[in-house]
Amino acid sequence: MIKITIDEDACVGCELCVDECPTDVFEFNEEKLLPKVVREKECFGCLSCSEICPASAITHEDIIYSEEYYHDNENLALASRLAVDVPLPNTPSDDAHKKAALDDLGIRLLSVASIFRQTLGGSLPAVGTMAGRTLATQLPRYRIPESFKEALDIAVRQFTPAWDIKPDYDGSSKLEIKVKSCFIRELCKTEGIELGGDLCVLFYNYMAGYIGKLANARLKLTESCPGSKECKYDIEVFVK
Amino acid sequence: MMKTRISTEWLSGCSGCHIAIVDLHEKLLNLIDDVEFVRIPVLMDEKEYPEADVGIVEGAIRSEHDRKCLLRMRETCKTLVAFGTCAVYGGPSGIGWLYGKDTILNKIYKDTVTATDDGKLPEGAPELEQSVIPLNEVVDIDFYIPGCPPHPYFIALSIKTLLGASVPEISIKTVCSACKRRMEKREGVKLQRGMSTASEEDICLLSQGIICLGSVTLDRCQAQCPNKGVACAGCAGPSIDIITEPHLDIRTLIAKRMSLLTGIDRIEILDYMEKEAKTFYSYAISSPIIYKKPTVEIREWAGN
Repeated sequence: MIKITIDEDACVGCELCVDECPTDVFEFNEEKLLPKVVREKECFGCLSCSEICPASAITHEDIIYSEEYYHDNENLALASRLAVDVPLPNTPSDDAHKKAALDDLGIRLLSVASIFRQTLGGSLPAVGTMAGRTLATQLPRYRIPESFKEALDIAVRQFTPAWDIKPDYDGSSKLEIKVKSCFIRELCKTEGIELGGDLCVLFYNYMAGYIGKLANARLKLTESCPGSKECKYDIEVFVK
Repeated sequence: MMKTRISTEWLSGCSGCHIAIVDLHEKLLNLIDDVEFVRIPVLMDEKEYPEADVGIVEGAIRSEHDRKCLLRMRETCKTLVAFGTCAVYGGPSGIGWLYGKDTILNKIYKDTVTATDDGKLPEGAPELEQSVIPLNEVVDIDFYIPGCPPHPYFIALSIKTLLGASVPEISIKTVCSACKRRMEKREGVKLQRGMSTASEEDICLLSQGIICLGSVTLDRCQAQCPNKGVACAGCAGPSIDIITEPHLDIRTLIAKRMSLLTGIDRIEILDYMEKEAKTFYSYAISSPIIYKKPTVEIREWAGN
């Protein structure tokens, strides 16, 4: 169970934690002018109280951070040297958990792709492109890439390690992407599905949409060759 | 017992951090038994870099000379400490990051009305770096002690740790944790622009409509300013939340808290802080921790 501690010396009595908590864990003690943890078992570790607390007076024990890359690792290393007691995220690294999660995700993805195909028919590629473009606007980025090459590098970095992608860009309009190991390839292998199916269509349009939005260019998929060793996509690039 | 050898160096800074070491007062005397200062620019004239156990570096890198000195310090010291906000985050002179080397030199030696000598640049001075650079961009740093300057309380704690006498728990809380004022929710408060001091005692400056950076700043000062009614300027650099989490930022956190406390429109606070970005980001402006944040566009806000 999550354990919440309030440092009463540090607390400035602003009541913001009481307002912020989505599950009403805290109550405000008007006499002492301090918040009190009353429904600790309701806490699900969203850390909004810890974020809003101006005095960083609230600490949680036994929480699991939701995402491994939620924290900036470089800065975490710095923070650990500012003082001795910086809590580091204790993300579970259990392989069995990860595998179960991936299997589950795979089945869901396959069914989503087939539902899209049944309801949308020929518009399936557009869904992939739109999803990629949306992702490109939503992922936090340190700065706007200056060239198409740089955008490509960022995209490759973000798709690794789940995808082993090798782009080959000639500098003007021809882009060839080779995908060696890929989450979807392995999924198709274990599920006995032929490569180049609905999910693949969704994915390569998604990738093209993502790179395109990131680089502010228009990408047109000209050919896709799914193969037993690697998949190959030919893409025409119109840099704006 | 062998004395611990301490060597200090002073790069682009104001020497305030060295003075802060002297501010240990009588505690310094206790220290002298265990410590030998082999190089300390404020007290002795030592041009060489003797081998030392602990190296303390104040100030950021502004010129090639600074860079060379830092590299020599790294070679000769077993443990290197970035001491003070300039060393850790670049400090107030980090505002040079906004403009770059050429703009600054042209402004001073060519474009200014009072510039003489046909705009010639001075000769013989060490070459300026493109920007102001925090130390850890150049060498590996073992410990960081931010603060402008760090309060002697924290210096004493850190030195104890470095000497291995004890491992004290150094607070990673914000300035608010040491502030005695009470945050209170209010209505009808107006945002006070410019420099203003607290009109009421015992009530938080944010509740009074004054932008105080206490809640987004690491406590390395024991809240001296806000306790006396002066808004925190954020001199010890961003708090741990802001350092570790990419989506949190000085202005967004202040705006969120202040609008919840006072009912002032969040956007109004954000706009004001962006307009005055050089003030509110002044201590960590040249640190990648701040300028790499996806939500921070200080160059744009500053109009270049």
